[in-house]
Amino acid sequence: MLKLIVCIKQVPMVSELNWDPRTGTLKRDLAEGMMNPACHHALEAALRLKDLHGGHITAITMGPPMAEEVLREAMAIGADRCILLTDKRLAGADTFMTSFILARAIEKECSNFDIILCGCHTSDSETAQVGPQLAEELKIPGAAYVEWLELKENILRMKRLSDNFLETMEMDLPGLVTVTTSHYQPRYVPLSGIQDAYDKCDIITLDADDLKLNIIGTKDSPTRILKVYSPCSEKKNIEMKGPAKKIAEELLDKFGRKIGGAIKKDLKAYEQEK
Amino acid sequence: MNFNPCLKHKTVRKTVSKFVETELGPIAHEIDQNARFPVEVVEKMRALNFFGLQVPRKYGGAEMDSISYAIVIEEISRVCAAMGLCITVHNSVGTNPIAQFGTKEQKEKFLPPLASGEIIGAFCLTEANAGSDAGGVETTAVEDGDDYVINGTKIFVTNGGICGSALIFAITDSENQRSTSSVLIAEKNTPGFFVGEIEDLCGMRANPVSSLFFEDCRVPKSNLLGRKGDGLKIGLSTLDSGRIGIAAQALGIAQAAFDDALKYSKERQQFKKPLSNFQTIQNYLADMATEIDAARLLLYRACVFKDSGKAFGAEAAMAKLYCSTLASRVTGLAVQIHGGYGYSKEYDVERYFRDAKVTEIYEGTSEVQRMVIARSLLSKPT
Repeated sequence: MLKLIVCIKQVPMVSELNWDPRTGTLKRDLAEGMMNPACHHALEAALRLKDLHGGHITAITMGPPMAEEVLREAMAIGADRCILLTDKRLAGADTFMTSFILARAIEKECSNFDIILCGCHTSDSETAQVGPQLAEELKIPGAAYVEWLELKENILRMKRLSDNFLETMEMDLPGLVTVTTSHYQPRYVPLSGIQDAYDKCDIITLDADDLKLNIIGTKDSPTRILKVYSPCSEKKNIEMKGPAKKIAEELLDKFGRKIGGAIKKDLKAYEQEK
Repeated sequence: MNFNPCLKHKTVRKTVSKFVETELGPIAHEIDQNARFPVEVVEKMRALNFFGLQVPRKYGGAEMDSISYAIVIEEISRVCAAMGLCITVHNSVGTNPIAQFGTKEQKEKFLPPLASGEIIGAFCLTEANAGSDAGGVETTAVEDGDDYVINGTKIFVTNGGICGSALIFAITDSENQRSTSSVLIAEKNTPGFFVGEIEDLCGMRANPVSSLFFEDCRVPKSNLLGRKGDGLKIGLSTLDSGRIGIAAQALGIAQAAFDDALKYSKERQQFKKPLSNFQTIQNYLADMATEIDAARLLLYRACVFKDSGKAFGAEAAMAKLYCSTLASRVTGLAVQIHGGYGYSKEYDVERYFRDAKVTEIYEGTSEVQRMVIARSLLSKPT
């Protein structure tokens, strides 16, 4: 039987982002959570593999206790087993440490897997690092930004967009893919599934002791966040005075890149060509 | 007492909200304008158990608790009250009475197609001369061999134009009307079952409300729900549950009107400042939000009473009375805050305003709810 693992992250809803300006980390307990969109697409990719080939899906997440909600949602839509890694000591883990912890949990609970599917990136941090790092930790092949995949005789065939080229690749299993949001539009959750997910199913909860880990998320993570800030933009009128030729040159020197971006032309290359 | 919604109820709300905002949101205005029943969305709702919300799992339903049920109806109605109406009437009064009072054979025959949405249910009580007075119906069902022969006309039947089965309230003994009204299950393809014109109504226009005519319509005696003469008992019990659905629907409409009014008040500038800077508008918003919260708590209390097996008739009537009155008030204020634009079909508050009114009328008028509540109060020893 095909054994699939889907790594899911609960992210704050976009409209409710709050962070602690002192530590530079998100205040997840204050925000309404949702399943990270790319993880949702990865789950859908796993469900379609299961629909075609049969199989068993384990959904796994690491986060605060309230991250249980995204696991229940995964179960409502078709995941068979769910694992929640939650421990205050692990809070604040960076992507490197998260991949390390996920790898230990997978080795402990579901080492006999065929494919691990992750979202290609998360909407709250956008690093896109956990998936590829997890493949390294588990010493298995990994492919990022996969748009489409199919399974034939234990070989995973994938398509991914890279630098405007569509690559078709093959991978021996076990392996890991990170899935984009372009192809696998998630199915709706049936209401009976929600009832079952909450009333009839158990979630396996693991902490650092269960994984025999003696680490502190914030202290042992090599990444340091220096600053978190809201991107801001402002509208401003700028007046340029002088002869037309001089103004045009000044305009292109100062704002050429922005204008080029807006009209989708590299003005500098165009100028050199001329 | 815990006022935080549990994770399950949060998930139900998010799931339904996502579905209706994606599927019904973009067409809600159009289907209201064209009085069109959105079959393409209904098709998607079937697979997600919207038609078997509280039907037991063994008959293909989702077997939800009553708060989950109320949340589903509230969220659909927040986006499209006419579809909220279709779903709540189908579930609470078109299907659940069979689950509650039906024989094993009736459940096995009717519940699976109703729970899957293959057929849509309706409940026929109101007649030209009967509505609030449930005992005053004139439609007759006369025994003839193995059948009942139904004759009469039912009006304002929600889902009438699209129903596949209907629960008919009829008198089965003309000598003593009150004691012998009964409920029969009639299937649409039965000879003598006719659907009238779709009503041209003020609100809920996407729901095909129609009359149903019965002319020597023969239904087998095995389609009698409960026992002969149980009509009033089944009817009143069904309406208690139905009121939870209509209260939830009214609450959804009120929430939608409030959300739009809040947003508009922050955007619309008058006297060089947003409307929300004016204290009068702030007072409107504060009152609307407070009343919506109070209504939601009353509704959820009725749901908890129902699921715990307690009598919940008075609680459901209070929830229905308060939620529907509130919906009319809040939608009125939302139109007021929008000013001239609120009176235009360009903005959704006009639709909410029209949709809200009928929640004070159907499933028992506000006056009937007060009768039910007062009866409960006065029956207690002092």
